[in-house]
Amino acid sequence: MQREVGTLPLAPALRARLAAAGFQTAQELLDTGPCGLSKEIGISREEALEALQVVRQECHGHAARTAGGSGTTRKCTALELLEEEQTQGFIITFCSALDNILGGGVQLTKITEICGAPGVGKTQLCMQLAVDVQIPECLGGVAGEAVFIDTEGSFMVDRVVDMAAACVQHCHLIAEAQPEEDHRKALETFSLENILSHIYYFRCRDYTELLAQVYLLPEFLSEHSKVRLVVIDGIAFPFRHDFEDLSLRTRLLNGLAQQLIIIANDHRAAVVLTNQMTTRIGQSQSTLVPALGESWGHAATVRLIFHWDNSQRLATLYKSPSQKESTIAYHITSHGFRDVQPPAVTPSTEGTELNPRKRPRTEEEKQ
Amino acid sequence: MDWDQFDLNPKTIAALKKADIKSVREILNLSGADLQRLMKLSSADIQCLLKTVSHTLRGSSMLTALQLYQDKDHFTSQHQRLSLGCSVLDKLLKGGIPLVGITELAGESSAGKTQISLQLCLCVQYPYQYGGLESGAVYICTEDVFPSKRLQQLIEQQHKLRADVPPEVIQKIRFGNRIFVEQAADLDTFQQCITRRLSLLLARGMARLVVIDSMAALFRCEFGPAESALKARYLQTFGAQLHSLSTRFRTPIMCINQIFHMKSMHAEMCNTSFYRVVGSRVTPALGITWSNQLLMRLMVSRASLPGHSPGAAPHCAGSTRTLSVVFAPHLPPSFCYYTVQLEGVKGIK
Repeated sequence: MQREVGTLPLAPALRARLAAAGFQTAQELLDTGPCGLSKEIGISREEALEALQVVRQECHGHAARTAGGSGTTRKCTALELLEEEQTQGFIITFCSALDNILGGGVQLTKITEICGAPGVGKTQLCMQLAVDVQIPECLGGVAGEAVFIDTEGSFMVDRVVDMAAACVQHCHLIAEAQPEEDHRKALETFSLENILSHIYYFRCRDYTELLAQVYLLPEFLSEHSKVRLVVIDGIAFPFRHDFEDLSLRTRLLNGLAQQLIIIANDHRAAVVLTNQMTTRIGQSQSTLVPALGESWGHAATVRLIFHWDNSQRLATLYKSPSQKESTIAYHITSHGFRDVQPPAVTPSTEGTELNPRKRPRTEEEKQ
Repeated sequence: MDWDQFDLNPKTIAALKKADIKSVREILNLSGADLQRLMKLSSADIQCLLKTVSHTLRGSSMLTALQLYQDKDHFTSQHQRLSLGCSVLDKLLKGGIPLVGITELAGESSAGKTQISLQLCLCVQYPYQYGGLESGAVYICTEDVFPSKRLQQLIEQQHKLRADVPPEVIQKIRFGNRIFVEQAADLDTFQQCITRRLSLLLARGMARLVVIDSMAALFRCEFGPAESALKARYLQTFGAQLHSLSTRFRTPIMCINQIFHMKSMHAEMCNTSFYRVVGSRVTPALGITWSNQLLMRLMVSRASLPGHSPGAAPHCAGSTRTLSVVFAPHLPPSFCYYTVQLEGVKGIK
């Protein structure tokens, strides 16, 4: 952004005018905007807009090249993909049973959909993930930031504070059990305020605002490159009323799904959506099925259905490309999303990493 | 829509006017390819258009969770709640009713739902420092007549219920004047009431609480089992309209609902979620379609929950009621006991 105006690929006459007007860096040009620019150097608005487009492309192209490039097609072999997938991070949920059936946790670059009746714990899991994505790498996390798009107004910051405080405490306990230099350093910045300041919250009141927000997400994620989780809490809510024309709804949802897949891939982020349940009336009985129709079922890569069995909460992995269908029980405590029987975490237990898939650091160093 | 004020290429603005596109919503409803065909512009231009339009709609509406947490402002803070007028009940709800969203109060008849709603209508009129919102309430009756005699009793006894508030403050509030009672016995009247009367009252700041007593009554007679799709549509529309009003004006909406007792076989067949009250299974009316619209569900019942000894209230064991949190994003499932006295609803420690 600090590029000199003289180095930009603009017409020489234009460059001379910019220099005469006193513009030195590309950032100044972008800050002025097209109207201001056309007034300052006496060119038409159309020319100003085109010039700014070129400047933007140059700056983004430069940034993209240094970051590794995105949006261009790459050719790679299946082996490379396999290696990439195995190093892909997972966002743990603090419920080890759920992490196990998911294959390690919520996977980056994939869309995970959570369906369930009201009150079963979908928003709780989303808030837990927004906290867990920030766990430092040395403790088994992905050290990322989170974007939370709320369409229902169910994001209660007090609850997130409780979960974050419990997470910080848990991490400190683990670090005490295995006192290492990088653990201590990582935990210095892992505090409540820090966690809260890296959850970016957007409130969308109807489907138009949601669509607009998703159009703006790629730019936001380019600016905040550490974001590893995008949560849309309540993808069904804005789309389940207001639509006489269901084909429009299907088209909009498909477009949304495509954009989210691109975002997940380009920015190496996990996308988590929550969906409602609706009743499908069959021949003899009615069943609860995820809302938004059959075609929406293809949008998510991984689908989890939360439901009740008497007073026990259960999670069923309904759709996954690599894991088999299974059901586990989970619990929601004052600390957040947890196992039904918490595994015994004592200081003397060896290998008390939060993420069981990640090998402890000492072994890696030896290799 | 005045496209000239947008930061767009004049070529794009001309194309928009020529294609007769009148609103941002129309643009976002069309796919990229459709827009290209309609406006005869290149894909880069269309991308630019979409980004500009989205920016204008969303602006800088990002907040971090830290900002939400530290915000103590009366009008925007998430920490603000509407108190119920009793410290025990407020403690159960961690402050009171959230200001944005639909809260449901379900229970069998004469369990105390109307009592709690009337108490809320009075609590909302107190100043902010006493847990109120300094504004009036709208009470929408759909079946019974409004209990004005009971309201008068409660108003006279406010000083006894709210011992924490200085009597001069209570004297100054004209409680009866600020409760707006609406009657809506059928769906069309209800629709009119929400879209016209309610938005007017809320926009003028004359009310900051809406009580609907009750939603189920509107749907009882008019819908047979074959019309469940139509009923669902109505419920979703009402839910969305109420939700939108609640968000725009930061006004809590309290909906009263009835419950059905269910035979166990029926419950399993329907896959309905149910709650246990005194050994029998109950489910709130209106089904999962309505439950999906709610932020929070509370249940009241006359009998104390089995397995928990009501030893705390020996002298009024007959009229001990239970208020329980069924689901809420910020509260664990919990309950407390309360009684209905002359001055109002009071929790029992």
